[in-house]
Amino acid sequence: MAFFKPRQAHNASRSQPESPSKRWLREHKEVVVSSWGQLWQTPFANLLTWLTLAIALTLPAGLLLLLSQAQHLGQQINQSSHISVFLAPYASLEQGQFITQQLELRPDIAQATYISAEQALIDFKASSGLNDILASLTENPLPATILVEPANAFVGTDAIAKLAVQLRQLDQIDQVLVDMAWLDRLQALLDTSERFTYGLSLLLAFGVLLVVGNTVRLQIESRKQEILVIKLVGGTDAYLRRPFLYAGFWAGLFAAIIAWIILQLGTSFLHPSLLLLAQSYQSDWQLQGLSGVGSLILILTSCGLSVLGASLTVGRQLRLIEPK
Amino acid sequence: MISFEQVNKKYHDKSALVNTNFHLKRGDMAFLTGHSGAGKSTLLKLIMLMEHPTSGKIIVDRQDLGRLKRAQIPAHRRKIGLVFQNHQLLMDYSVFDNVALPLKISGYNERDSSRRVRAALDKVGLLDKEKLLPQVLSSGEQQRVGIARAIVNKPKIILADEPTGNLDPALSTEIMRLFQQFNQVGVSVLIASHDLELIQRLPHPVIQLNQGRISGPPSLMRQ
Repeated sequence: MAFFKPRQAHNASRSQPESPSKRWLREHKEVVVSSWGQLWQTPFANLLTWLTLAIALTLPAGLLLLLSQAQHLGQQINQSSHISVFLAPYASLEQGQFITQQLELRPDIAQATYISAEQALIDFKASSGLNDILASLTENPLPATILVEPANAFVGTDAIAKLAVQLRQLDQIDQVLVDMAWLDRLQALLDTSERFTYGLSLLLAFGVLLVVGNTVRLQIESRKQEILVIKLVGGTDAYLRRPFLYAGFWAGLFAAIIAWIILQLGTSFLHPSLLLLAQSYQSDWQLQGLSGVGSLILILTSCGLSVLGASLTVGRQLRLIEPK
Repeated sequence: MISFEQVNKKYHDKSALVNTNFHLKRGDMAFLTGHSGAGKSTLLKLIMLMEHPTSGKIIVDRQDLGRLKRAQIPAHRRKIGLVFQNHQLLMDYSVFDNVALPLKISGYNERDSSRRVRAALDKVGLLDKEKLLPQVLSSGEQQRVGIARAIVNKPKIILADEPTGNLDPALSTEIMRLFQQFNQVGVSVLIASHDLELIQRLPHPVIQLNQGRISGPPSLMRQ
């Protein structure tokens, strides 16, 4: 069907001359309407293009969504990290409690909890199930412990490490244990995933440009005759380009809508298993779908990339079609 | 209106036009004739800026075509109504839409556009066929739709490339009469045709092209 075909007027418009901006608006409005109508001339072919684009968008968008929320989870776990301070065997109950009180006064410590050696043994018996072996021991092998929870402002890995060093220098303290290694590993894993996702996003954005470019190239090819005649009767490049740019815009919009639906479905599909994972870390973390802002970014990115892909192709292709 | 000064056009090594000089004055009508391959189409293409001369100067409506930038070509083409032998109608556009195309690209609003399209169709006697698709029309009617499209924008110049090539003598005469009518209202008309019999019956000067060399009445030839 005719791509550039003028729409017939049903009612007469006013007769005074139009201002250039009014004319520009009217011409764009006409192309918006005609390019929209054009979409439904070949709905199946368009749907295939939209799906291809949607998949290319869903992958990086989904990974970015997961990543941003995993980072949030990482921070939560980081916040709940604590330091185990093991007291020397010769430290008395009173000494232990005194140290605990001293620690609580420090600004970089939110809470310090004293666990006596006896209490530690009871807890360990309960959680390990090694009752018999532990009962056979003549003396309690476990030291008294102070569980130190850093204040919120001191939760970074560096701050915790620094605090641990300071604690180690105190009297009557045998050992200070911070399980930083797995936090570091988590952070490294998140960093790697982040880089991977950015790389993938870049590749797939390029893919979107190629897909839209190729679609537009085919559209131009199938309208060669129309373009030739329009060039001969004096159609400008801008006039010829416009319907293809709008076609790109529509493709981007529909691809974004499809990608959004896939993302929402995917989120609810992943949600139960991720919930279990979060619960195993005592986190109330929940996988959120795309936010309003996120959805807007998805749509703008998709439309922007598609229009860019169309414009990169359309200028070059139109130059190839010259009346001979 | 159209003037060629020492224009040469070569395709690879073959010369299509050699030292071509002529001048078609504002409001004049002339024929361009010669065997096929004599350079008629090349000459029209040079005027339309579908081709560029190898050397020489072409001036159309006081504009030196050699100085036009790419972006100025559309405005130049809008001054010229072009009629093709094979009419170059868009088969999935209605007759109305085909004729409206030059107005559409010039940004006419619907009301002015419709008025002008109907006037042009009325002129070529096809007002009752505006809703039809071109393929249901006879070839004479299709040619007239092509002419309506060429004149709808009220161009200063009409160029026609073998406009009667596929038509019987009666239809050909009718088409030529149309061109004469446009000429009478001041449009400059240049028609390429090898239908010598028809041309000789009409009172307009004839430019001849023979293997790229031009000849004709002194009124049209420049020194």
